[in-house]
Amino acid sequence: MIKENNIKLILLSLSLLLIILIFFFPFFWIITSSFKSPEEIIATSTTIIPRSFTLEHYNKILFNSDFFIYLKNSLIVSFSSMIISIILSVSAAYGLHKLKFYGNKFVEYSLLVTYAFPGVILLVPIYLLFAKVNLLNSYFALIVVNVLFATPFAVWMLKAFFKLIPNEIEEAAYIDGASRYIVISRIIVPLAAPGIASVAIFCFIISWTEYLFASILISGDDLKTLPVGLAGIVGQYQIDWGFLLSGAVLASLPVILLFVFIGKYFVSGLTEGAVK
Amino acid sequence: MKKNNIEGWLFVSPLVIWISLIILVPIYIAFELSLFNVKIIGTSGKFVGIDNYIKLFGKSKFVNASLNSFYWIIGNAICQTFFAFTIALTINYKFPGKKIMANWIILSFIIPTVVVVVIWKLMLSSSSGVINSVLIDIGLLDEATGFFSSPNKAFISLVLINSWRWSPFLALIILSGLNSINREMYDASKVDGANFVQQFLFITFPNLKSVLFVLGLVGTLLSFNIFDIIWLITKGGPSSATTTLPLLIYETAFTKFRISQAATLSIVTSFLLLLFSIIFIKSMAPKEDD
Repeated sequence: MIKENNIKLILLSLSLLLIILIFFFPFFWIITSSFKSPEEIIATSTTIIPRSFTLEHYNKILFNSDFFIYLKNSLIVSFSSMIISIILSVSAAYGLHKLKFYGNKFVEYSLLVTYAFPGVILLVPIYLLFAKVNLLNSYFALIVVNVLFATPFAVWMLKAFFKLIPNEIEEAAYIDGASRYIVISRIIVPLAAPGIASVAIFCFIISWTEYLFASILISGDDLKTLPVGLAGIVGQYQIDWGFLLSGAVLASLPVILLFVFIGKYFVSGLTEGAVK
Repeated sequence: MKKNNIEGWLFVSPLVIWISLIILVPIYIAFELSLFNVKIIGTSGKFVGIDNYIKLFGKSKFVNASLNSFYWIIGNAICQTFFAFTIALTINYKFPGKKIMANWIILSFIIPTVVVVVIWKLMLSSSSGVINSVLIDIGLLDEATGFFSSPNKAFISLVLINSWRWSPFLALIILSGLNSINREMYDASKVDGANFVQQFLFITFPNLKSVLFVLGLVGTLLSFNIFDIIWLITKGGPSSATTTLPLLIYETAFTKFRISQAATLSIVTSFLLLLFSIIFIKSMAPKEDD
């Protein structure tokens, strides 16, 4: 018994160390590197503790690049996508959860498949469709696509949260004469608020990180999103690492900030409800 | 159970319509295009029937990309299962800092893919990468290696990078499955003398069936779809070793400007994925018991 506990303890410490090294150290590395002098970033001998400190890269990206234009575009696209996704998926998830109807299993599984299905297969067809209806080069094009990517999993998660709400509460409200609309807006939505918050973050993240469609559907510089703007620097022959790193840190900052405030709902949402 | 046909459809139809419009209409357009011989978008081509489809299967590029996609899915499945289970089982234990780790482990998933690319391009750089210098310091390497320079190394590096991005997210979903397992089963098995390996094999794993079903299906399709990580790091090279089907479609459409060919590729790929999904759901879907 004691032996088994020891093995467990060693295994636990080992895997903890591994997880920290693999999943957390890279973040420490790019954040500290973004403050290093250009010479130190590309130096062949590296030390864990930074030897230099400079704000020049941040200075350059904030005051000498299109960063704020890209940021604005990303914010507009991500917030609109998030709001539309939430409205559509709360309604669909409620329908799938509460109302048994002909074809509900089919809708449910189709959603699961579409969650992963679209991607690059739809790239060419969607490009052609948007070219036909003159939607290329617009925020709306990106919003349409982001909602498509975000909602299937959002519905899947929301359904799980709705399941946690006791049926009796809802039934009591109907007996008191409440309509379906009142029940949803006054009971279901408030009770599932942490769940809805975590789903909202998920939708925001999906839109915030989307690169492929944004790179193809948008060609005007004034409408480009942050990932596309950053990828432009990655693709250059001579990479300005300091510039790129500070851009990467800044592009991650909004989702990280969002996560600081509502991240625990997201994680507990995922771990408590996702696949029940 | 009472059926609520009209009301039910009323609730799901806005989303169903949105999704169907954005998937079905483009696929119809693509199908139409695949029967013609159009090169640059906007120009017209002549009707060629199923010619594009016949030609496609004879192309070595298509065969190569399909094989690469297959290896990509298998490689990612193995790596991600390993990482995700390691993370999930670790976080499932009590240790100081557990809450913080559980909240922040998902960092690699919430940042933009482009940032993932930046991180690993810097860390794995052959001239100044920290990984190279650590490997040299501990004596595993004699001199700095290019992690993306040979076909095999590039492929494996990309699989690891992609797994790095996705494993924490999958781990949290596995964790949700772990949380739903009745604690008493572990206590009972302990009384019967089971060790933790046996517990994992006979209690944990079987009880994760519905979670693993979703992960198996969604994970496979998601891995298949990965484009940006590969494109931004290797552009499909060296010598097409990392050109999976999504990259081939992109290249055909937007760098070679053979739109009809790209549309044909998209249709064939959609069909293959749909087939996979139907077979997977029909054979693996856990029985609902609620």
